[in-house]
Amino acid sequence: MGNGSGISVKDIALIGIMIATIEVVKDALAFLPNVELVTLLIVLYTLFFGKRILFAIPVFVLLQGLLHGFGLWWIMYLYVWPLLAVLTFLFRKQTSLLFWSAFCGLFGLFFGALCSLPYLILSGPAAALAWWVAGIPFDLIHCISNAVLCFVLFKPLHLALNKLKNAWF
Amino acid sequence: MSQSTDRKSGKKGLIAVIILVALIAIFALIYVFLSPSASEGSKSLTIEVIDNEGETTSFSFKTAAEYLRQARDETVGLTYEGTESDYGMYVETVNGVTADYNTDGAYWAFYVDGEYCNYGIDSQPVNDGEVYTIEYTVYY
Repeated sequence: MGNGSGISVKDIALIGIMIATIEVVKDALAFLPNVELVTLLIVLYTLFFGKRILFAIPVFVLLQGLLHGFGLWWIMYLYVWPLLAVLTFLFRKQTSLLFWSAFCGLFGLFFGALCSLPYLILSGPAAALAWWVAGIPFDLIHCISNAVLCFVLFKPLHLALNKLKNAWF
Repeated sequence: MSQSTDRKSGKKGLIAVIILVALIAIFALIYVFLSPSASEGSKSLTIEVIDNEGETTSFSFKTAAEYLRQARDETVGLTYEGTESDYGMYVETVNGVTADYNTDGAYWAFYVDGEYCNYGIDSQPVNDGEVYTIEYTVYY
């Protein structure tokens, strides 16, 4: 993949590992509201493995629906996580740890606003605004935890993925 | 990577952090000025529960509660259970009747004076004279 040669067996194995790790970190930290590592993993996987992440995210979202039920939040997941991968891909040339920490923080900060879109369509602007404003404290927690986790874990995970990528590909 | 590229990258990182801090402050201000506020003091409230058989039970009382959850906790004869989520409690059972959305699309709908509640029970402000309706509703 990436050389125009289609998807290889290695790619399939890699996509499987990406799904498994994202799924595990999602559910392992589910007891802490708005503290998650999914953002960081999707950013790193996009930086290292490019478009392959777009195969992993739909399966991750489907699994989340199967595990936790297909509520309105599930519709939000359908576009929120792919959007993160696309934004990461657009900024892929950035190498600063501060940049990626701020990027993950911003994603956490805007998570509620992005998730309010279904309410905008279903119930109108007033309901979407009310829903978003009510969730701002949680968005602030999400923002700070994302930025701190990225600042602490980005370099070691980057190093580990670099080694794995060199050994595998 | 050249030193010049490193410097540019570092500068962009710093700009991103400044933007982040500014946006955190803006979001906090939006929350302070736009979040729902409640009037304090003693308020007369009515909570009506319409169960899965369409039967209405009404509770009228006075409270100093600021938000619906607190008012409901004070309501004698009204019991409820639910699961805590990132956005407050999701009510599943009211007076022993469970609405299971995953089984048959049923949920407890909340209304204030006939209008659908825009907030969760933890952030819905209560004001004097309001009538709250908690209705067993099936989505389809």
